[in-house]
Amino acid sequence: MRPQKREISRISFSNLRFDIWYGLLIFVLATFVVRLFYIQVIEHQQYKEAALRGQLKEYEIPAERGVIEAHDGSSTVPIVLNEEVYTLFADPVYVKDIKGTAEKLAQITGGNPSEYESKMNAKTRYAVLAKKLGSDKKNEIENLDIKGVGLRTESVRVYPQGVLAAQILGFVNDEGQGTYGVEQFLDEKLKGKPGQLKAITDSRGVPLVSNQDNILKDPEPGQRIKLTIDIGMQKKAEEILGEHLKSVKSKSGSVIIMDPNTGAIKAMANLPTYNPSEFSKVEDASVFTNDAVSSPLEVGSTMKTLSVAAGLNEGVINANTTFYDPAKYEIDGATVRNVEEDGGPQTRSIADILRFSLNTGAIYVLKQLGGGEINEQARKTWYEYMHNRYLFGQKTGIEQGYEAEGVVPDPMEGFGRNIKYANSVFGQGFTVTPVQMAAAFSSTINGGKYMQPHLVEPADDENTNYLKKDGVVSKEVSDTLRSMHENSVDKRYPYVDQAGYRVGGKTGTAEVANPNGGYYEDRFNGTFVGYLGGDTPQYVIMIRVDEPNVPGYAGSAAAAPLFGKIAKMIVDNFSVPRAG
Amino acid sequence: MFDLRRKKHRNRRAQPSLSTSTGENSSLISRKHKPDYGLLLICIALLIIGMVVMYSISPGLAAAQGVSQHYYIGKQFIAIAAGLIAFAIFSAISLDFLKRSKRTLVWLSLIMIIAVQIFGEKVNGAYRWIQFGGFSFQVAELLKFALIVWLASFLVSRLVNKEINSNQKTLNPIMILLGLIAVLVAGMQSDFGSAGVMFAITIVMSFSAGLPIKRILMIGGIIAAISVIAVVSTPYRRDRLATFLNPTSDCQDAGYQSCQALIAVGSGGIFGLGLGNGVQAYGYLPEAENDSIFAILAEKFGFIGSTAIIALYAILFARMRRIIICTKDTFSRLFVIGVLAWLSTQTIINIGAMIGLLPLKGITLPLISYGGTSIVFIMAALGVVFHISKYTSFAPLRNVDISESEVNGEDSSGRRRQRRPYYATASGR
Repeated sequence: MRPQKREISRISFSNLRFDIWYGLLIFVLATFVVRLFYIQVIEHQQYKEAALRGQLKEYEIPAERGVIEAHDGSSTVPIVLNEEVYTLFADPVYVKDIKGTAEKLAQITGGNPSEYESKMNAKTRYAVLAKKLGSDKKNEIENLDIKGVGLRTESVRVYPQGVLAAQILGFVNDEGQGTYGVEQFLDEKLKGKPGQLKAITDSRGVPLVSNQDNILKDPEPGQRIKLTIDIGMQKKAEEILGEHLKSVKSKSGSVIIMDPNTGAIKAMANLPTYNPSEFSKVEDASVFTNDAVSSPLEVGSTMKTLSVAAGLNEGVINANTTFYDPAKYEIDGATVRNVEEDGGPQTRSIADILRFSLNTGAIYVLKQLGGGEINEQARKTWYEYMHNRYLFGQKTGIEQGYEAEGVVPDPMEGFGRNIKYANSVFGQGFTVTPVQMAAAFSSTINGGKYMQPHLVEPADDENTNYLKKDGVVSKEVSDTLRSMHENSVDKRYPYVDQAGYRVGGKTGTAEVANPNGGYYEDRFNGTFVGYLGGDTPQYVIMIRVDEPNVPGYAGSAAAAPLFGKIAKMIVDNFSVPRAG
Repeated sequence: MFDLRRKKHRNRRAQPSLSTSTGENSSLISRKHKPDYGLLLICIALLIIGMVVMYSISPGLAAAQGVSQHYYIGKQFIAIAAGLIAFAIFSAISLDFLKRSKRTLVWLSLIMIIAVQIFGEKVNGAYRWIQFGGFSFQVAELLKFALIVWLASFLVSRLVNKEINSNQKTLNPIMILLGLIAVLVAGMQSDFGSAGVMFAITIVMSFSAGLPIKRILMIGGIIAAISVIAVVSTPYRRDRLATFLNPTSDCQDAGYQSCQALIAVGSGGIFGLGLGNGVQAYGYLPEAENDSIFAILAEKFGFIGSTAIIALYAILFARMRRIIICTKDTFSRLFVIGVLAWLSTQTIINIGAMIGLLPLKGITLPLISYGGTSIVFIMAALGVVFHISKYTSFAPLRNVDISESEVNGEDSSGRRRQRRPYYATASGR
C-alpha cells in the first residue's frame, strides 16, 4: 500500500490553500467587528443624532377653525363650516407599478395619468398628486389598496349659503390664513391654538406609539362666532342691489342696513361679488374687497345731514331759522353754486337745505359756525364734528379686514382751506366710507349716541360696549333732524307710503375725483343715507351706486330708488314696529 | 491505535499525544459516529434570531409596505419548517446518491433557468423568481446548490485522473462554467449578487482543490473583467459603486439605503435600543426584513449583539472548517468547502454593505434574512454537511490522498457501493 500512496500523494491536496482562504475569511470578519466598534461605539452619538433628525418630527396639530353663524329670523344658521378633504400623495419608493398606479388613480380623481406618472418618477418621497378630494373619492382610493399611495386629511371652509355675504366673510387662503372680511379680522380667534406633537415617527410621519419621548399638546379649537347679519335680509339686499345696478347701468354698489340704536349691521351687500369656495379662481382681486368698509368716497350731499346737525347742535341755527340764499358763493377764488333746478337767490329755511340739497345752504351753516364767515373758528368747529363726533378719518372698528379710514382735511393747513372746508360741508373734497357715514348718520338721529358699527355678536361672556361717543348731538337736535328728514323724504321720495312708518333720508350726487387731479365731468356716484322705523328709527340704510348711467342726478335717480326698494323690502318681510 | 478509534469523537482535542505518537503517515479509520449537533444548534439559533427580529419589526413592515402584520412571519415560519425538513432529508441521504444526482441537478437547473424566463415574475426588469401557490422560488439558490455538487464531483474526478493541471480538462470547463454563470445569472437574471457568490464558490473550490495559481489568477482576471462590464453597463450599479466610494454624497437617492443602514447600525450603540424599540424598520431602511436585516439587528442589539451574530457565523464556519480538515473523502471536503464559501461570501457581502465597507448587493444574510428559497437550499446543503460530519476523523488531516475509493465513489454509475470505512492520514505536528 505504501508505495502506491506515495505516488498518489503528488496529486493530493493540502489544507494549506484552504487555510489561507479561511484565514482571510476570519480576518474579514474580525475587520467587521472593528468596524462595528467604530460605528456603534465611537461614532454612536453622531449616528444617533442623524437618526433623530430623520425620525423625530415636530408637528402642528391643526386646530379646528371656528364656525361662523348668522341670524335667520329668530334662529341661528351656519354660514361658514369646515369640511375634511383629502390630499392624495405617493411615495414612489414603494410604488411598484408607477404607470398602472397613475392610471388607476387618475380614473378616480379625473386627473391626468401622464402627469401623475411624471410626478411619481421625480426623485421625491412625497409626490402630491391631487388636492381637495372628497370622502367618496378617498374611499375609492383606499379600496384600491396600493402600496406607497396615501391620503392626507385637510380641513377647508365650506359655505352652506353659497356666495352670500362673501365680502363680509372673506376666505381662508391655502396657507390657512384668514384673508379679507371677518376671517381676516378675527383670524386669531377663529384659528384657535394648534396643538403640538413631538414624536418619533415612521418614515411616513405616523407617530410610533411605543415611544415615551413623545410630547402631545391638544389643539384648542377656534371660537365659534355669530354675525349680526340676518341672512334673509342679506339675501334680499343682494338680490335687490343686483337687479337695481343692472337697471341703472352701474357696475358696482353697496347697501348697508344697520340698527342705528345698537350699531349692529343687519345686512351689508356689495356687488360685484365672488364665490368664497372658489376664491382661487378669481382673477380680479378687487371683488374680495368689502367696498362698504374699505373704499372711501366723496359722499356728496348726504353730508349735509351732518353739517346741518352740527349747526343745530351748536345753536347757530335752529329749525325756524330762515336765511337769504344768494345761490352762489365766491370762496378762495372759486365759485360754489347750487344745482340749476333750485331756482336762484331767495330766502330759504333750514329744512330747505336738506329738501332741495342746497350747497350754498350748507355753506351758510358753515359760516354761522364761524360767526358769519368761513374762518378758523368755523373750520375748527366743523373739524371737531367731523373728526371727534362723527369719527371720520379713523377706523370704526367694524370686524372687517382692510378697513379704510378716509381722509379729513386739516383745518389749519394747506392752500385754499376755506374752499376745501366749504366743499366738505356738502360732501366733496374729503372721503368717508359708507359704514362711517351710516354710523355717523345714526348718531344724529338716534338721540346722539355714536354706536360702533359691528358685524359680530358679542360672545356671552364678553362685555362689549359699542357706545363710542355719547352726545354727538343733543336729543332735541336729533328730534328736529328727524322731522326735517321725514319732511323732505315725504315730499320728494314717497317710497314707503304705508301708514305708521317713518322714513327719512338724504340723497347725494358726488363728483368722482380724477386720480390725475380735479374731477371727471361726466362721472357721478349716487349715495343715499336714510332711516326707517316707527316711533324711533329701526334701520339706517346707506346706499352707494357707483357711476350709474341714468338721466338726472345719480343721488336722486339711482341711489334714492334703491333706498326705496330696500326700505319696502324690509317693511314687507321683517316686522318693523309701527308708530303708535 | 485501535483503542483510539473508540474514543469519543468529542474528546479528540484531548489527545495531544496522538499525533506525535503515531507519527506522520499513520492511518486512522474514521467510522460513522455522532454527527456535529453543534452545527445544527447554530443553524437553529440563527433561524430563531431571524424569526424573532422579523416578528419585532412586523408592525413597521406592515405599515410601510401595506401588508398584514402576519405576512412575513407566516411565510418565514413555513420557510423555516421547510428548511428543517430539507435539512433532515439531506442529512439522511447518502453521498453516493447525491453524487449520482449530479446530472439530475444540472438538468433541473437548466430547466429552471429556462422556466424562469418563461413563467417568471418580472421584478425590476429581471426574471429571478417563479411563483407558485403564493410562494416564490428563486432559481439562483438552486443553481448555487447544484454548482457545489457538480463542481465538487468534477474536481474530484480531475484530481483522481491527475488532470487538475490540465488546461483542456480542467481549466477550460471551469472557464465555460464561469461564462455560463455570467450569461445566465448575471446577464439573463440580472442577478449580479448571486453570480458573484457563484464565482466565489467556484474560485474557492478550485483554489482549495489545487488548481495552479496561474490558472486561478486567470479566472480572477476574467471575473474582474465581467464585473467591470456589469458595473459600467448598468446605471444603478454605477450609482451603487459611486455611493459606496463616496457615501455621504447622496443620502437622498442612490445612497439612501446605505445611509439608513449606517444610521441604524450606528444608533444601536453598545447595548442596542432593545428588541421592541428600533425605529429604522418603520419605513426608513428599505428591505428591512431581507437584505438590511443585519442593520436592524445592530440597531436593536447594539455592538454586543452584532458582534455576537458575527461570532455565531464564525463558530458555524469554524465547525465547517473542522469538518473539512477532518474529512478524508475529497468530494465531501470540496462540498463542505463549497458550502462554506457560499455562506461566508453571502455573510460578508451582506454585512459589509450594511456597515459601509462594501457596495450594496441584493444578497441575503444566510439563515437570518427573510426568504424561503435561500433558507431551504442553505439548510439542504447544511444537511449534507451534517451528514458528512458523521464520518470525520477525530484529528485534522493534513494531506489527503486521493484513494481508489474516490474513483469508485465518483464514478459510481451503478458499480459497487462504498462499504469500507474511510481511511485517513493523521497529521503530525
